[in-house]
Amino acid sequence: MSTATKLDPAAAQRAANRKSAKAGRTVIFRVKRCEGPGKPSRWEEFKVPVPPGANVISCLQHIAANPVTTQGARTTPVVWDSGCLEEVCGACTMVINGRVRQSCSALIDDYAPQEGDVMVLEPMSKFPVVRDLWVDRSRLFHNLQRVKAWVPIDGTYDLGSGPIESPASQGTRYKLSECMSCGCCLEACPQFNLEEDKAAWDTSFIGAHAISQARLFNEHATGAILKDERLDALMGQGGINDCGNAQNCVKVCPKHIPLTESIAAMGRAVTIHGIKKFFRGE
Amino acid sequence: MSEATTAKHPRSFLERHHHLLRRLHSLTGIVPIGVFLISHLLTNGSVVWGLLDSRKAEYGHAGVATFQHEVDFIHSIPFLFFIELSLWGAIAFHSILGFYYAKTGITNTGSYSFGGNWRYRLQRITGYIGILFIVYHVGTLRWNWTFLTPGGTAWSAEFAGSTMAQILRGSPSELTVAGVAVTAGYLLGVTSLVFHFANGLWTAAITWGLTISQAAQRRWGYACAGLGAGLMVMGWAAVIGFATLDPAEAKATEQKFRLKEQREAEKIGEVIDRERNRVSAIDAPR
Ligand code: HEM
Ligand code: SF4
Ligand code: SF4
Ligand code: FES
Repeated sequence: MSTATKLDPAAAQRAANRKSAKAGRTVIFRVKRCEGPGKPSRWEEFKVPVPPGANVISCLQHIAANPVTTQGARTTPVVWDSGCLEEVCGACTMVINGRVRQSCSALIDDYAPQEGDVMVLEPMSKFPVVRDLWVDRSRLFHNLQRVKAWVPIDGTYDLGSGPIESPASQGTRYKLSECMSCGCCLEACPQFNLEEDKAAWDTSFIGAHAISQARLFNEHATGAILKDERLDALMGQGGINDCGNAQNCVKVCPKHIPLTESIAAMGRAVTIHGIKKFFRGE
Repeated sequence: MSEATTAKHPRSFLERHHHLLRRLHSLTGIVPIGVFLISHLLTNGSVVWGLLDSRKAEYGHAGVATFQHEVDFIHSIPFLFFIELSLWGAIAFHSILGFYYAKTGITNTGSYSFGGNWRYRLQRITGYIGILFIVYHVGTLRWNWTFLTPGGTAWSAEFAGSTMAQILRGSPSELTVAGVAVTAGYLLGVTSLVFHFANGLWTAAITWGLTISQAAQRRWGYACAGLGAGLMVMGWAAVIGFATLDPAEAKATEQKFRLKEQREAEKIGEVIDRERNRVSAIDAPR
């Protein structure tokens, strides 16, 4: 994304840092720690020697093997979540130097090019912490259920071949299908905020990822069977109308999914759906 | 479905009509409030653009005369009270819900200092400033809260420009400290409301799904920025135009304008009377 790099000063800064990174340096990791749900959090610092090409996860592995703070105190290993280590599963998402992103693809050279530079690691703030940097993203998946983000093909008999899909529709949907449910768009969204009470999940803001997935499955010829139900869910409290158009979601999405276009497209669908319902007297 | 979905709890009025209320909130921001804002700033800007009307120069200050003409026109609109009432209803509806909606978000421009995020935050801040300004503005000029104007000046529809100048300047003659404060408040209020409207017009196109592609959103953004810039010029021209008027000179213009208008009305009345007499003379049975 050359245009994104050009427009985002933070990305330009990272590219410049990478060029000037010193070999054989030590970097300080300031980590926000928490021993479990409901426990208070505290900060701890670790000194980590960074080899060329190190990323946040490889440094966390170093800390796990040597759980000693900069003051020399022995502590518990820092806990984090990860899976693919190649920015496709979304599990390792955390807040790095104040911005949400995947830690597996976060290169230390981009952020801390000089000896003694500091990297700050925090768990995402919009989900409950399980431990340290590991959060519980259940609400993200729950919100995908709210819009029935799937194609209903379960049956007791062979349904035959699916409908023919146009290349244009495939093109639109391919981009949307790349969502890895990482939660970046939710962490950065001012309208999506921590909600620990599960009973309130259905009426609190659903988030850009779910709006975009509703679009993906409404555009799918078979998925469109559930179109009205998805639009009903988006019309309700906590649905698409609660988006405040801050457009942070699209800026932080690591998959460059056109989330704000999805929001506008579903805004249009909901407008029409609402008018139809009004005249049907529902 | 999960248990959270099936869990039953009484749905409030706001919840049951969520979509309708949200969309009415968006709509009222444009019609009638936004449309009124445009016409109101155009009217008030006439104290400056009225200077272009050379026919009005015979009264003294052409801007003051044009503005008086506009105000007289507005006051001649039939059922003005009902128009005002519906505008008030819309503003109350939009701002009460606006408050409630603004409360659902937590701003984060510190970490995510993108332009869009700043506009999101400013949309809320300008809403708060805007409603404070509107209440002050209407309270002092329409409901006679003269305890809030410098020197207790009351605005008068007959002497629209001169009394406005007096309020913005703080005294019938020179500019006072209170006057500077009121003028600064007006500039802040007008700037806030114009931003709020222009940015709201931009987001409304996303809300309703009129602009979908990023290119379309950008293009509509330029259009809204253009409209906003135009309204900003009008609004600032009005405030600065009144604040730099000499209230005494303005009053002289208004008196001359009123006299001339009256004389013209009388002349028309005379003509009508003469014609009526002539007609009845013809119709009279011989
Ligand atoms: C002259 C007065 C006003 C005008 C012309 C106006 C206009 C608008 C417009 C056109 C929108 C866009 C709606 C959308 O995105 O769909 C909007 C949104 C908004 N307005 Fe106003 N408004 C005014 C006063 C206020 C006041 C007094 C408040 C009180 C706090 C307020 C709070 C809001 C909020 C919070 C939003 C964002 C709603 C959202 O994005 O969900 N507005 N306004
Ligand atoms: S555009 Fe909507 S979903 Fe995206 S960050 Fe803003 S408020 Fe959240
Ligand atoms: S839309 Fe983007 S930011 Fe949001 S969950 Fe999917 S991949 Fe992550
Ligand atoms: S570990 Fe899968 S995205 Fe980082």
